[in-house]
Amino acid sequence: MTWLVDQFTILGNVFYYLIQTVHWTILISVLAYLIALIFGLVFGILRLSLSRPVRWLASAYVNVIRGVPLLVLIFFIYFGLGKIVNLDRFVAGVLAVGICYGAYLAEIFRSGIQAIDYGQHEAAMSLGMTRWQTMRHIILPQSVRIVVPPAANEFIACLKDSSLVSIIGLRELTRAGREYSSQYFLDFQTWLVVGIIYLILTLTLTQLVKVIERRVAVHGYGVEKK
Amino acid sequence: MIIEMNDVVCRFGVLAALDHLSLTVEKGEVVCIIGPSGSGKSTLLRCLNALEDIQEGSIEIEGLRLDRQHKDIHKIRLDVGMVFQQFNLFPHLNALDNVNLAQIVVRGRTRYEATVISKELLGKVGLTDKIDSYPSQLSGGQKQRVAIARALAMNPKVMLFDEATSALDPEMIGEVLEVMKQLAREGMTMLVVTHEIGFAREVAHRILFLENGRIVEEGPPQELLTSPKNQRTREFLAKVL
Repeated sequence: MTWLVDQFTILGNVFYYLIQTVHWTILISVLAYLIALIFGLVFGILRLSLSRPVRWLASAYVNVIRGVPLLVLIFFIYFGLGKIVNLDRFVAGVLAVGICYGAYLAEIFRSGIQAIDYGQHEAAMSLGMTRWQTMRHIILPQSVRIVVPPAANEFIACLKDSSLVSIIGLRELTRAGREYSSQYFLDFQTWLVVGIIYLILTLTLTQLVKVIERRVAVHGYGVEKK
Repeated sequence: MIIEMNDVVCRFGVLAALDHLSLTVEKGEVVCIIGPSGSGKSTLLRCLNALEDIQEGSIEIEGLRLDRQHKDIHKIRLDVGMVFQQFNLFPHLNALDNVNLAQIVVRGRTRYEATVISKELLGKVGLTDKIDSYPSQLSGGQKQRVAIARALAMNPKVMLFDEATSALDPEMIGEVLEVMKQLAREGMTMLVVTHEIGFAREVAHRILFLENGRIVEEGPPQELLTSPKNQRTREFLAKVL
């Protein structure tokens, strides 16, 4: 009985210690995701550009970044680029995760734009709209509905992958877990609690995504679930 | 004349959808285009709205040459309204905003000005009570009438109808044709690709029979429908009448 109480006390202590760093995990993921949204939107649209070099450049970004492990990207930006410009580990970490997820989001945005029936482009053009006006007023507002669920899921993945920046000494949740376990040799309990905290975060987000999905699905779109 | 097509060739790969086709349309004329599927009827309309590239010949709308590569093509296109078989309403906007949007974005009207015009046009096509409805809440016939109002809102000089009633349930065809008849009576220049021979007989000034990207025969409805000269026209009409 006392053994069980002891164990829960330990878990409680670990939890109390770790939860104080969780805001760093959240901050890193949110900032990285914002960067990813901008990169994703810009490159997603550029991939559909009429100009071949622009298209080529955009798909080069997507293919290169998707083909390189995030960990390598983190090392490259922090240690590699860090040799040229002085990069704070926070900036480097956020940038690496953001650039990486920007490539994934670019693909999601591109497919969301391409999923819109070509008749919508033709109708807009026949009304005298330019390509950009068509994109802005007709295509993007409809793509949002298609894009939101997968894009929101990318945020969950982004949050989990933010643990990788612990490697360059950014003191977020995973880093704190490493410190705690090496200090008290409570590996089992520490990593159990780290896992549980990530799980709480991702499960909460999953519920949030469902709410958002329902929100964007209404608004008189198509014939699907109303 | 308002439309002048001169020796136009439009190819998809090796297939010539329009094969050295020439056509002139006068202001206020209603021209109905009939013919078997694949004869180039839709392509003809789509070329007039620069939705397809032409490889040879030229198209002029009110003296302005239609060139898809021209950077101001969207402005030249403004004079040509198009109604599609599949309506192509914007599903994220209600009926009013479907008609409003291009007026505001392209014509530069204020929201208030546009709304006045849209309400008048939606009233004209009999949809005053559907102004707030989204396309998903409208029947096919209602959608197509919104689409007509949307095209008219840009004050086009020519209206193109690409099988505007082909995707509709039979009992909804009438309400759309009625709107089109009214437009014709008001003197709108119209090119109508249709399978509604009765409509063509009643409204058209001229009917074209197309096959293999060429105009096989043309003439006023009475002449072409009752005593076609060409063998192919006779065969086609025997099947559809």
